[in-house]
Amino acid sequence: MDFYVFLLRLYPRGFRERFGAGMRRAFAQDLAAATARGPFSRATFLAASAIHAVWFGTLERLPRGPVMRSFFQFDLRAASRSLRATPIVTAVALVSLALGIGANTALFSILNSLVLKPLPVRAPEELVRIDDGSWTNPIWEGIRNQAPTFTAGAFAWSATSFNLAKEGEVDRVDGAYASGDVFQTLGVTAAIGRLFTSADDTRAFGPDGPVAVLSYRLWQQRFGGDPSVIGRSLLIERHPFTVVGVMPSSFEGVDIGRVSDVIIPVSTDAWINGKDTALDSRTSWWLEIWMRLPSGKTIDEVTLALNAARPGIRDATLPKEWPAKFQDRYLKDPFKLVPSATGDSALRPRYAQPLTVILFVVGAVLVIACANIANLLLARATARRHEMSVRLALGASRARLARQLLAESLILATAGGLMGLAVAQFASRLLVGQLATSVSTVTLDLSPDWRMLAFTAAVSFGTAILFGLAPALGVSRVAPNEALREQSRSVTGDRRFGVRSALVIAQVALSLSLVVAAGLFMRSFVSLTTQPLGFDPSNLLVTTVDMRQSAATPAERRALYERIRDAVASVPGIRHSAISQITPVGGSSWNGQGKVEGGLEVSGKAAEYWVNPVSPGWFETYGMRLLAGRDVAATDTETAEQVVVVNETFAKRFIGGGNPIGRVMIADADFPEARRVRIVGLVSDAVYRNSRAGIYATAYFPFLQGGGVSSSFRISSNIATDRPSARRALASALTQVDGRLSYSFRDLSDQVRASMAQERLVAMLSGFFGALALLLAGIGLYGVTSYAVNQRRTEIAVRIALGATATSVVRMVLGRTGWLVATGVIIGAGLSYWAAKFVGALLFGLTPRDPMTLAMALVALASIGVLAAWLPARRAARMDPSSALRD
Amino acid sequence: MDIFATLKPAAFHILLALAERDLHGYAVMQAVRQQSGGSIPLQTGSFYRHLSTLIDEGLVIEAPAPKGDDDPRRGAYYRVTARGRQALAAEQARLTGLVARMKKLNLGAK
Repeated sequence: MDFYVFLLRLYPRGFRERFGAGMRRAFAQDLAAATARGPFSRATFLAASAIHAVWFGTLERLPRGPVMRSFFQFDLRAASRSLRATPIVTAVALVSLALGIGANTALFSILNSLVLKPLPVRAPEELVRIDDGSWTNPIWEGIRNQAPTFTAGAFAWSATSFNLAKEGEVDRVDGAYASGDVFQTLGVTAAIGRLFTSADDTRAFGPDGPVAVLSYRLWQQRFGGDPSVIGRSLLIERHPFTVVGVMPSSFEGVDIGRVSDVIIPVSTDAWINGKDTALDSRTSWWLEIWMRLPSGKTIDEVTLALNAARPGIRDATLPKEWPAKFQDRYLKDPFKLVPSATGDSALRPRYAQPLTVILFVVGAVLVIACANIANLLLARATARRHEMSVRLALGASRARLARQLLAESLILATAGGLMGLAVAQFASRLLVGQLATSVSTVTLDLSPDWRMLAFTAAVSFGTAILFGLAPALGVSRVAPNEALREQSRSVTGDRRFGVRSALVIAQVALSLSLVVAAGLFMRSFVSLTTQPLGFDPSNLLVTTVDMRQSAATPAERRALYERIRDAVASVPGIRHSAISQITPVGGSSWNGQGKVEGGLEVSGKAAEYWVNPVSPGWFETYGMRLLAGRDVAATDTETAEQVVVVNETFAKRFIGGGNPIGRVMIADADFPEARRVRIVGLVSDAVYRNSRAGIYATAYFPFLQGGGVSSSFRISSNIATDRPSARRALASALTQVDGRLSYSFRDLSDQVRASMAQERLVAMLSGFFGALALLLAGIGLYGVTSYAVNQRRTEIAVRIALGATATSVVRMVLGRTGWLVATGVIIGAGLSYWAAKFVGALLFGLTPRDPMTLAMALVALASIGVLAAWLPARRAARMDPSSALRD
Repeated sequence: MDIFATLKPAAFHILLALAERDLHGYAVMQAVRQQSGGSIPLQTGSFYRHLSTLIDEGLVIEAPAPKGDDDPRRGAYYRVTARGRQALAAEQARLTGLVARMKKLNLGAK
């Protein structure tokens, strides 16, 4: 039904208001009848309704005058009749268009919702955000207190996830901490209940106690849309919150690509996290700060006002324990505001560029498809030369004939565009499903908006011109007297062959670039997946344990950690297990700067190393080799000598290679907490963040010397049994230690796969569209070669009759096509060379002008070209000259 | 409009359906489909175009909904105006004339 409301928009407003209700009812009843007849009837009915709406909606918008009437009632009708007369050509053209336009629209709709769509809030263009990451709560409070003087509202936002489970394994939903004025500033009002305000955002809570706001989606999914959810208690991180309201379905938070299902006030962090709260920390950077520009004020004016307030805010929030150098930078660093009408998204930096590249790829595929349709229509126009010349002879104007051919293209493009919209609805959802990984979900609002419709309309119209112009111009070359010599045979062929050859050359050139691009992306992906990780993820199960809700105080956590460690060690079905703060490709990281005494002089980026506190046996669990020295040991406690195990890259970076055992490393060299640590072991290299980032210089500290046992850590288990029973065994072991622990499981191999999601997506899509381009170019070549062979039938027959061998005929035909392919390939190689600079950033392990890939693409195109030309060539060589000459 | 001009087949069938009694849009469509035995392929889009033309020409007007039908989703009811009946009468005269002429040709008997 929404579909028809949407179609009704095609009618002028007055008409819609007058008849809308009746039309909706008529549509609903006919739809019900069609649905009862079966799914095919239903689909046909929906398609027909869409076409009718476009047709009659347009008619109603036009003045009821004679000129329009002539175009709409005669030209378009004649065009649609003639299209129906050649159903196969029309169907092929429509399917190519629907797929081409659909793929383009699908990608555009993803880019649209990711990058272009403004947030569904009041006056989104007034929203700005302090650039570059997150800020501490003290800074936010400082800004909040001053904001009323220079903004029309400000709020803090921190995207996170919340555990809604009562006990045991976590039940995570995406959510956010937001400051009290978030909804007022954004101008969002509740679907039901109320949204929280600054009165709720205090550590003593508001009148309703600790409150939470739900997304419309969560309300529907978990509470069945039951309005009695208001006032109910909801456990968030095992703390009872009162649900006070549900956000409207349009607003799902300020992060694009993720739905904030649960939003709670910033100050409730003190309640949830107790002593670990980030509220008073001057070094916990977790809040994004958003503002609304007052009307009439520019972003520069507000930036100026904000920075005028900066010294006071910075002074009051200075991290006292920092070294002077950092404090100085902290005080001087200015605030920068960026326009944020389209919200914020972690997906943008990751996917905006690959999706743009793919959008160009599908654009090129559409152009190639258009060339094929143009060729098809040209062939059709040639077959209709007789009809055209008769009509010219009878007095029709050339303009009239051209108008009808344009009308045909217009109908094809409009129908193709409508079908493309339907394809896009399906394809874009499929694509978004591919963006999500086992590790993170992606939710994008893909509902059609005016941008998407304008894009589709522009693409459809553009394609109509692309494939419709050549046949329409061809009409002007038809001579009236041609009707008289329709049966004559020509030896020279057809002038329009030139146009068709040019089209094929363009197709070959474009598809070569696409095949090169596909080759580059696929080889990047292969080299990424074959990159050694340095460990074997296949049997590794990672358990994240969160001790925050256990009864243990921070001081008692060490004992709890040891109990957990011992309990996990005795779980059956686990070969090895060990604990670490960080797991490879797990998404979190920890780095520091330092040096090794008597080692190389390093500074800046080169002095950077990456930290992972691990328990004994961690290397064994991951299958990493100890090359020298020893593993961290159970005796490496807080009071023992500070030690560290480093990897090969670390040894190379800081001492230039060789055996580092016994050397002293200065960790966190620039900070007051700098400490001297003895290197006791050397392990083989392993990936820290992801394969693309490569191997980092890594320092593995003993878990207990890693700055205290923090509230959560990860257990890596090398399992010998199946995953579900390992999970069950681990869960029951953890619950036995402390029923209030929360934990979640993740397979390391899933995480490794997720870390390559972007490359996989690009490789998959470019491979698919590259193959499609190759296929389309092949069809184009085949079509144009068959046509040429048909045109030269007489000539070839004469040659055969005069004694030409089959081989020489094949060679002649292939030579002609070879010339087309060669020209196209040269242009395409140039095109690839030029386009290379745009894809460099997306490649891994090869240069954008990789000669090997180009060679492979050349071979692929040449093979397709030979195959496409060989089929008609063989037919020509086998032709019976006497029958050909008799015709 | 010249009410003595020939009515388009779809318009004629719509007027005919409404001449019997006031109907809402979808009921008119259904009636036309039945009367014409499917020979007038009336779809929502084309029907409302014809209807709006008939209203603009003053042959049909909106009518109040009959008692007992307060379903707001059905859309408006429509009624034939006096002018509409004249147009139907003119069509009747025209068709009667044609039928009379055809009868003389005695096409039915073979």
